[in-house]
Amino acid sequence: MRYEEWNKISRIASRKSLWMLHFCTGCGAVELPPVMTSRYDMERFGMGPMATPRQADVLLITGYLTVKTLKRVVNVYEQMQSPKYVISFGSCPINGGMYWDSYNTVKRLDRYLPVDVYVGGCMPRPEGVMNAFLELMKLIDEGKARGWEKYQKYYEQYKRNQKMAFGFERGKNEGD
Amino acid sequence: MKAIEIIGKGEEMHGRAYIPSGREEAGTIIKKLKENGFAHFVMLSCVDWIDKNEFELVYHMWSYEHKEHAMISVRLPRDNPSMFSMHELFPQIETYEREIHEMYGIDFEGNSRLTPFLLEGWHDTPPMRKDFDSKKFAEDVFDSIPEIKEEEDEGI
Repeated sequence: MRYEEWNKISRIASRKSLWMLHFCTGCGAVELPPVMTSRYDMERFGMGPMATPRQADVLLITGYLTVKTLKRVVNVYEQMQSPKYVISFGSCPINGGMYWDSYNTVKRLDRYLPVDVYVGGCMPRPEGVMNAFLELMKLIDEGKARGWEKYQKYYEQYKRNQKMAFGFERGKNEGD
Repeated sequence: MKAIEIIGKGEEMHGRAYIPSGREEAGTIIKKLKENGFAHFVMLSCVDWIDKNEFELVYHMWSYEHKEHAMISVRLPRDNPSMFSMHELFPQIETYEREIHEMYGIDFEGNSRLTPFLLEGWHDTPPMRKDFDSKKFAEDVFDSIPEIKEEEDEGI
């Protein structure tokens, strides 16, 4: 079987069993219990919550990220196995949201990690989250959710940006 | 007995006892209140009165016997502010002092744990001071981070 065809089959299989690691940093965490439980029931799409990064396919960043948390998120993301996808949830990881002038939140997540699907809103309703999951499945099916390949390809740039945010470039972080 | 009667000074403010205190006598006042029923140390907060060039430390205490909230206020100058640590009276004060040391840069004499607490690798002005320009800091640091430049070909 040709590589392309096998890839297609593996994508069909993987989109039907996405395991989600929800990195609940901000207020978005409250929208997830209804998504996971019987009201919206994400398991009908084959999605389930997963407790460890090494078994997860999807990293859900729910809400604002501080510089301190970003270090942990990068750590978690790099532990995940490829193929892996990032959903950024709420307006804070998109442009800072209501924390646009805060000294300790990173404003744009896509400068530090490759984001596949954005969910706008403050906070997005569970319907929005479900919609993002379906969108992600569609992108995986079409082979367009390739953030993890981007992360490998532009690793240097992502690392440079992360270090800039952590303060290494400013020469102020000698303790870390 | 009410807090104001115990200490012999202060005023009623929004149903709470407000007791202004000097830097040195604050320890005695807190000790005296503790001995007279104010067994619960609620929190230590700090206000930056930049117009008056002062920091205000507020020690909040609660008495279950009198159902009364007492606030002991200590004013410190903004340049090289320093205060005596009260962690021998209530051990939890140590953590509040750590936080205020980090966020406002106030030194607490006698507290041996004034190490970095919530912030990581912070070497700028303490961020909760009013003369710290949060917006400028965010612009300088986060807006200077470039976008990821992608190549044109893009199988990706």
